[in-house]
Amino acid sequence: MKRALLIAGFVAYSASLYAQAPAAVASRTKVHVTTLASDQLEGRLSGSVGEQRASAYIVSELQRIGAKPLPGQAGYTVPFEFTAGSKDGGSWVRLGGRLTQRFDQRAEVQALSFSDNVDLGDTPVVFAGYGIVVPDSQGFAYDSYATLDVKDKVVVVLRYFPEEAETKTKAILARYADLRYKAMAARQHGAKAILVVAGPNSPNAGEIIPMTFDTALAGSGIAAASISSRVADAMFGALGDPAKTLKAAQAALDDANPHATGFAMPDVTVTLHTDVIREKRTGHNVIGYLPATLRSSLPKPWVGIGAHYDHLGHGESGSSLAEKADMGKVHHGADDNASGTAAVLAVGERLAAQPRARHILLQFWSGEELGLIGSTAYVNAPAVPLDQMAAYVNFDMVGRMVDNKLSVQATGSSPVWARLIEQANIAAGFDLQIQQDPYQPTDVASFNQASVPCINFFTGTHVDYHKPSDTADKVNYEDLDRVVDFAAAIVKRVGDAPEPPQFTKVDQKTDTAGRAGVRLFTGTIPDYSTEVKGLLLSGVIGGGPAEQAGLAKGDIIIEIAGQTIANIYDYTYALEVLKIGQPAKVIYLRGTERKETSLTPAARK
Amino acid sequence: MRSLHVAAAVACLAVAQLGAAALQQAAPALQERDFLSRTRRITVEGRRSGEGYYSADGKRMVFQSERDPANPWYQIFTLDLTSGDVKKISPGIGKTTCAFFRPNSDEVLFSSTHLDPKSKQYQDEELAFRASGKQRRYSWDYDPEMDIFVLNEKTGALKQLTTAKGYDAESAYSPDGQWIVFTSMRDAYSRPLNPTEKNALEKDPSLFADIYIMKADGTGQRRLTTELGYDGGPFFTQDSQRIVWRHFDESGLLADIWTMTLDGKDMRQVTTFGSMSWSPYQHPSGEYFIFSSNKLGFENFELFIVDTAGTKEPVRITYTDGFDSLPVFSPDGTQLSWTSTRGGGQEGQIFLAQWNHQKAMEALKNAPLRIVNTR
Ligand SMILES: [Zn+2]
Repeated sequence: MKRALLIAGFVAYSASLYAQAPAAVASRTKVHVTTLASDQLEGRLSGSVGEQRASAYIVSELQRIGAKPLPGQAGYTVPFEFTAGSKDGGSWVRLGGRLTQRFDQRAEVQALSFSDNVDLGDTPVVFAGYGIVVPDSQGFAYDSYATLDVKDKVVVVLRYFPEEAETKTKAILARYADLRYKAMAARQHGAKAILVVAGPNSPNAGEIIPMTFDTALAGSGIAAASISSRVADAMFGALGDPAKTLKAAQAALDDANPHATGFAMPDVTVTLHTDVIREKRTGHNVIGYLPATLRSSLPKPWVGIGAHYDHLGHGESGSSLAEKADMGKVHHGADDNASGTAAVLAVGERLAAQPRARHILLQFWSGEELGLIGSTAYVNAPAVPLDQMAAYVNFDMVGRMVDNKLSVQATGSSPVWARLIEQANIAAGFDLQIQQDPYQPTDVASFNQASVPCINFFTGTHVDYHKPSDTADKVNYEDLDRVVDFAAAIVKRVGDAPEPPQFTKVDQKTDTAGRAGVRLFTGTIPDYSTEVKGLLLSGVIGGGPAEQAGLAKGDIIIEIAGQTIANIYDYTYALEVLKIGQPAKVIYLRGTERKETSLTPAARK
Repeated sequence: MRSLHVAAAVACLAVAQLGAAALQQAAPALQERDFLSRTRRITVEGRRSGEGYYSADGKRMVFQSERDPANPWYQIFTLDLTSGDVKKISPGIGKTTCAFFRPNSDEVLFSSTHLDPKSKQYQDEELAFRASGKQRRYSWDYDPEMDIFVLNEKTGALKQLTTAKGYDAESAYSPDGQWIVFTSMRDAYSRPLNPTEKNALEKDPSLFADIYIMKADGTGQRRLTTELGYDGGPFFTQDSQRIVWRHFDESGLLADIWTMTLDGKDMRQVTTFGSMSWSPYQHPSGEYFIFSSNKLGFENFELFIVDTAGTKEPVRITYTDGFDSLPVFSPDGTQLSWTSTRGGGQEGQIFLAQWNHQKAMEALKNAPLRIVNTR
């Protein structure tokens, strides 16, 4: 599972208390998981030697069960290129006009990860406030560029969003304050470059923005860099106007008055060199298929089952949750997602022995942990036309079942799922948690995006999630095999049904526009596997603000700072507008009791 | 529909919570997993499902579900507990509720409004209303056109058993298949009402609900209860000798479990639980009833068991927030099936779990004596 949106980590404490009769037939899932999660595979980081070893194992297993390479292909692996990391290769800025000052230290200037690499000569500068443009559709007029001419100029903008605006306004502005979104707005107004500074009234005031992990292969069409307050102060100082210092300029904008504007900086020019070095790597999806055995020509003759087989390597990608002492160790990823990989192989092996009315694709994705890169690359260049796929069934983290609970996600993608799941569960007997939302942080999202009816199986998060301690000995194989039985029954029914499932588009609950990212740290660990009204906590981070506020596992947050929390998205937006160090009232349910506490968010870099 | 609609009432909330505190002090450290294991969800399709009842051989279940795209209300379905096959058996027009298999036969009974000429129109109006995206709070309207029917699954013949105006539903066969006990509000429509009663009927017809009995062929319909307050949700005890039901007080907020003989005599109160206690069902051993109560929170219904004679205080079975109610045991007594919102959301679905009878007997033995024996 790709680490979900924003909050650090998940934890679940309960041990398995549910004993199940041993499976009748010896299953190979344990062999698969143990092999894939072994030290030799080094955490299966996309593009690494470990990934190659893992893919070699999967290929040998595909051959063993009789799966074939895709028509017209010699082998099973399908390469895709991605950016494994980026660093600044020596960006600098020189101020001209009334000044002559050059900054080339990383503490003063650094390209943003999505910047184009450019050399820009002496160019006029415009201060464009927070650089936020709210689309008309939002019914809230806010356009930092409304009165400014920035064509062919460099714009300087403040990081984040107006700090003193009222909560509701902030909630709207925060959605359009993402750096990429600001860069896009600047580009659309004709600017040559965008320089971002964190104002003195904001978190991380005056500091350079760290280079974020970005898997895009190329820049976003504009030069974009972060500058320190020292650089910004030099520029604003050149204006010689006490009303136009950086501090004063921010103060004038901070109540989000839509009529407060930026201004041209006639006495300053900028010469800019941006250099982002993107380290390209090649990842490998592995795909085979079981040809249909029945001579029928059903519409949409393909069904896909898949799982990502990559994991975090030694934790170099940044989504590792390893404790300090374990940093750099092999992240075994037994549950995430050797378990899902094993499930696909096991379902494939089961179906290989049965008559099939449709072809069964067995699909193993790489690059999932870096942002669903492998499955995205696949749906952008599918080996089988996507409109020929009846359905896609995904497995991500299915090895840690507790108390018979199985989540089936993305069921809203087709009306057939509820019926198929209900029928198969009579024999399987899981305590099902049904989630209709197909916008899940795993490869099922790529197929939903491609209008393929899809579902995902998930047994929930645990203390070892994204840590080196996610090892093969902790996997619950008996229940993993039950998931295999259950999924095989569902795939068989979809595969043999004369009519392919209908696709239903589910509206995304959240706005697709960028966000400023969560700036503050609350130490809450949301439970993503259960749909409740409010935000259910699967734990709190020791010593964090949530723990200090007395919140605990099982609590359901229903209101923060006067904002109702119905789901994770509400929670995200509510967090964005809280102030670091300022207590916020939290209303939550503990059992049937409604309680209230005060939580003081800390800063996140 | 053996269910009931819950009117928010502050007074009762306070009572319930007071009781909850006392109960928590007395209760030993038992948990849901002491009684229930391998909890599984039986229904998934549709907006909601509920009231699943086993066939006498335990191989099938009949239940109500809102899953027919052409009908917005509950329709009746049978579920094969081996294959998972589901089949609609109700007419598809109007509202239906409360199905029950007749033991040792091909017959299933349920209540339906399909003979009401306006059924189709109401149904289309409701579909249009839901399509508009609007929502209304769930309430059960005790449709006076609701009558009891019996379907022969082999021949497809549907026979009407009750014709009286007024809601006829909440019916069940005796274990020997010879009798049907049911709930009817016919009293409100069969005699002239005084102004107070008329007013009451408009507000809440359930005040007029009473328990009735008839032969399996619909003959010999006889009223067994006469007290004001909602009497409903009756079932036979395992020996076919008594009827267990829930009786509401006039406020409609407090209900308790009662039993009586088939001729309406020897009424005995089984619980004095100071809450809304309803949907009783006896274990095949005949030793105890399981029922649902909001003892622990006005909208938090949990399952409890109580010994058949009601000598002890009830023992809590479920420990999951939300709605847990309408419990039934499998004919062999090894499984419990009930309707719950534990799967998430506001709407109930049917769940099933292995039942630990031994643990239940043990817990009942250790339960304290009932505090009040009569009201
Ligand atoms: Zn993961």
